[in-house]
Amino acid sequence: MSNHIRHLNKCILRYPSYTLPRISVVLQTREYSRPTSFPDFFQNPIFRKEDQAKLIESSELSKIAALPVKPPAVYETSSVYHDPLVNKVINHVMEKGNKQLARNLVEKAFENIKRSQIERYHLATTPEAKAKIELDPKKILHKAIANSKPLLQLQPIKRGGITYQVPGPITEKRSLFLAIKWLLEATYEKERTVHFPKQFAWELLDAANNTGKVVKKKQDLHRQCEANRAYAHYRWQ
Amino acid sequence: MRLHPILFAGPPKSGARSPQREPVPFKMLLPLQLKKTVSGKGDKLKEAACMQEMAVMFACFKKSDFDQTECLKEVAAFQGCYKEYNDRMTTQREQGKKGILVPGEKKLTHRQLNQLLKSFPPKK
Repeated sequence: MSNHIRHLNKCILRYPSYTLPRISVVLQTREYSRPTSFPDFFQNPIFRKEDQAKLIESSELSKIAALPVKPPAVYETSSVYHDPLVNKVINHVMEKGNKQLARNLVEKAFENIKRSQIERYHLATTPEAKAKIELDPKKILHKAIANSKPLLQLQPIKRGGITYQVPGPITEKRSLFLAIKWLLEATYEKERTVHFPKQFAWELLDAANNTGKVVKKKQDLHRQCEANRAYAHYRWQ
Repeated sequence: MRLHPILFAGPPKSGARSPQREPVPFKMLLPLQLKKTVSGKGDKLKEAACMQEMAVMFACFKKSDFDQTECLKEVAAFQGCYKEYNDRMTTQREQGKKGILVPGEKKLTHRQLNQLLKSFPPKK
């Protein structure tokens, strides 16, 4: 469809405007592909071997086997290189569905991490110091996100006309979302001359080391929760 | 002020309603009996979840200047408590929604109670 539109646009551009009558129809273009819609009863594909093994173990496979399943997306593969967390980060970096660019940026950041860690590895003199240095960028990403996940959240609750910031536990999903969001916010807060992959690599290394802006932000949130602990019983639940 | 017939149309505005005279006669507006259902207000928990664990974690945080790595035990206890609470609530909600009656259960949710009241309606 979009090809046709592009072709049509070219046709219009080729001729000067006075030869063709002006077309009043507005041509709509989409910058992303529209997802195919499936009925509700179609199940999401289970493409990872670990998940499949879990299903077989819990003997739930026979229940799902008869149901129709959606086809997996291109990025949903059972490859050993597929990491759900990395995919999640790529999706957070992505703008306007430009996944290729997002993936390139994240992979470039991984390359930067690898380079700096290898440099440190070769600079280290003793074998004990060398053994301590983590060389796998994916492991560093996992550690950085685990270190930046908040344990608590502040909820505004209105009691007697005053809004109190009430501390309470946070769900796993929201905690992960905040961790990735903070890491990216810290990365976007950079000099114009420094590019995204470099800054993102620095932020990830800092967070994996339990230092840096993001970990400080998390600790500040915890401090605020501690200061407001007197209001904790306002939580209803 | 211009006088208009509409101004005189309403009830007399000469003063407030006179107070009721004792004894006030009783008027039965609804039949004097209990409803055949119960409301779900009593099921709500009074206390917020995991307060004890949170207090212990805050104490540890304060001691170690908010370094999480020194309070792994307390953090794990807090998260475990919240997870356990969530699981309990989800199972309760699911069972309550369906109104499934577990035989021999002492504490019933309002939905389960309503299910029982519906199947065995109270006689007059």
